[in-house]
Amino acid sequence: MAINHKQILANSLAARFGRRRLLQGAGAAVAAAGLPTVASAAEGGHIKLAWIDFVDTLDPHFTSYLGAIKIHNNIYNGLLKVEYDGEKVSFVPDLAESWTLLDDKTHLFKLRKGVKFHDGEVCDAEAVKWSVERVWRGTPKSPHAWKYDYLESVEVIDPLTVKLNFKKPYAFLPVALTGSTGRAGTIVPRKAIEKYGKDFGRNPVGTGPFKFVSWKENDSIVLEKNPDYFEPGLPKLDRATFLIMKEASSAVAAMLAGRVDGMSNSPLQFINQLKANQSLVVHGEIEGNYSLMAMNCRRAPFDDVNVRRAVGFAIDREALIKQAFFGIGIQAYTPISPPMTGFFDKNIAKSGRGQFFDLEKAKAFRAKAKTQGAIEAVILTSEQGQYGTRVAQTIVPMLDKIGIKAKLELVERAAWISRRNAGDFHMLDMTWSADLDPDETIFPEWHTGNAWNFSGWSNTDFDKLVEQAQVVLDVKTRRDLYVKAEDILMDEAPMAILTHMPEFKILSKKVKGFKYTPADSLDLHTVSF
Amino acid sequence: MLRWALAKILQTAAVLLIVSVASFSLLKLAPGDPVELMLGDDYSKESHQSLMVQLGLDRPMPEQYVDWLARFVRGDWGTSFVSRTPIFQYAFVEALPVTLTLSAAALGLALLIGVPLGVLSAVRKDTTWDAAAAAFSLTGSAFPSFYLGILLIWIFGVAFGLFPTMGFVAPWDDFWGGIYHLVLPAITLSTPFMALIVRITRANLVEVLEQPYIAAARARGEPAWRITWVHGMRNVLMPLATIVGLQLGALLHGAVLTETVFSLPGVGRMITDAVLNREYMVVQAGVMMTGCLVIFTNLAVDLSYPVLDPRLRPR
Repeated sequence: MAINHKQILANSLAARFGRRRLLQGAGAAVAAAGLPTVASAAEGGHIKLAWIDFVDTLDPHFTSYLGAIKIHNNIYNGLLKVEYDGEKVSFVPDLAESWTLLDDKTHLFKLRKGVKFHDGEVCDAEAVKWSVERVWRGTPKSPHAWKYDYLESVEVIDPLTVKLNFKKPYAFLPVALTGSTGRAGTIVPRKAIEKYGKDFGRNPVGTGPFKFVSWKENDSIVLEKNPDYFEPGLPKLDRATFLIMKEASSAVAAMLAGRVDGMSNSPLQFINQLKANQSLVVHGEIEGNYSLMAMNCRRAPFDDVNVRRAVGFAIDREALIKQAFFGIGIQAYTPISPPMTGFFDKNIAKSGRGQFFDLEKAKAFRAKAKTQGAIEAVILTSEQGQYGTRVAQTIVPMLDKIGIKAKLELVERAAWISRRNAGDFHMLDMTWSADLDPDETIFPEWHTGNAWNFSGWSNTDFDKLVEQAQVVLDVKTRRDLYVKAEDILMDEAPMAILTHMPEFKILSKKVKGFKYTPADSLDLHTVSF
Repeated sequence: MLRWALAKILQTAAVLLIVSVASFSLLKLAPGDPVELMLGDDYSKESHQSLMVQLGLDRPMPEQYVDWLARFVRGDWGTSFVSRTPIFQYAFVEALPVTLTLSAAALGLALLIGVPLGVLSAVRKDTTWDAAAAAFSLTGSAFPSFYLGILLIWIFGVAFGLFPTMGFVAPWDDFWGGIYHLVLPAITLSTPFMALIVRITRANLVEVLEQPYIAAARARGEPAWRITWVHGMRNVLMPLATIVGLQLGALLHGAVLTETVFSLPGVGRMITDAVLNREYMVVQAGVMMTGCLVIFTNLAVDLSYPVLDPRLRPR
């Protein structure tokens, strides 16, 4: 009755980002964005961004790559979007005009009038219903379908009103709709998808500020201004080119030479050099992520919980950050990251919770293991992300100290993914990133039988706790549930948790009006020269 | 003469057939089941079977090969399952011209600088010029192209900002823009090749210049440039042509690294990406294309011998 669930929800999510600040220089961009009237005749123009991230598809419901989603955000809109005022994050209506909670399980969205897709199709309640159902229970199955597990039905009330009925209160919904790892609330046009079928990912049609022009293999993805975009005065740019570059050092060179206006990301070894350059702005701070060494609980030797525990305490994170991360990043004790204020424990280092380096403890657990004497294990690794194979390489000698003879098996990425998905490994190093809520950082990764639970770990107490946390809206109660769940997870150690890291975006100082959000996005809506 | 040329062409056709069998077998010898990889998350027994039939993989091998070759010759190379575009378009129309342009520029540059440098060091044998050219050619051939490329980018692209560091502009759309973008990649790709040309030119010319007919020409009072460039170089053309033909394969594999460093959307990057994505049909197309390129260049070199050297004209 009197409980304003939406308010609680919005406050709780916003509170977590309260004390976040931008890194050097980013303040200037925010200040510029706050002064739209100063905009001069110099608006418009063609932005060129060096894209070193992998882009698999431009179909928002079928990607798991942040490099793709950073582009999607410029082509599509969702029911809600993430907004960041430099202090806190909020979730505000995007394609919706208003978002109301009728009761704790029923969300009502009133849509904007007259919004059209780039191909002219009307974006109305039917389109929303169709898009939500495509993710929820479409074929082929979307990798983000789990985000609608608690959905009961989607109702079209009138052409501009749509209602989502859930089986249980669903604290995670705003993030499910907006979260940058595959936005389940992204609205796509039915006609274009039926026309292109599987090729839609190469011929995207959305409602966003930019229209798709071309995708030339190994060369570039080009978008142009959507003159009918519903936010008045936006976008400011005429054109955006994403130059697909494999070699990061070439991208850094192009950035320093002023041949491109920005970079989607940067390997850690270049960050200090880029920061030192006066004509560039490096955006980046610790975001919602963690790196880990997964251990396969279905196979010897890591089916033995004491071997896993020993690994958890045997890794010297400080040395690892220095050697594998160029000193960029902080030690992780549990999956919940610092940006998740309200859930993240600032005193976690002193609390004794989670995993950390303690060789004595590691040896004690190792002594309890079923197999004594040398254990052989293979770390499956791939040249990937910002740290290549350095994490795996650095960890090998650390494992040696607890009598685990680890060998590296370096495979190319496609093989790594397929073996990871098939559970065909002993250990592998990876990261989970761009999470805005504890639920997405824990639930799909570690709940029994979930798609991303590559370690094959299962614990019914943990499952119950994280299920419960999904349907509680009160932050304190939720936090207590997550603390308990994390304690079980870290104790049983289906992974050794390693670090939390910043995500970087580099822009030239010429680029004005970029709004940083701590969700690893690169939205060009308000950007101009 | 005609019979000799015809025999050469027939030999080439036989080699082509062997290459085609090899590229066809790629798909068969590859580890894992390519159909499963193509299907990815859509995998089911039914879709597997229907794709097998669609690709003709349920039929006997020789039949599949003949069918594949026939389609290949007609330009029907299948559809890439990553980019979802026809492979012919991607490989032949988009990627091949990039690599050919880059290789042609590198070859041109190598000859343009390598030959005069080789001549210089042969004519000024055992002088400082000769030593400098030898030093250059040793350094050049020892430099790995990925390192040289990044070095050039940092020096000429970043520190001095003279040249673009990436991307391809087609010279047939914008000639000077194209050349401008090709400068650094062409230097990178041509350096080891250039070094080789210097050495070959020098070694051969030194030998030729000691021949009695050169002494005779000198005695006749012919000008020095004529002795070197007409009497001397004529005899160096043959080994030079042979080297160019043989080294084309090396040039193409150098193109893989150069294209990656300079972000050029050419055949090299296409093949490496296809290997990483397990896109066997694209790999096949790439192997066939580069194979044909090397074979045809060698044929051209073979056919040029009688033109370059009268002694080799069949009687």
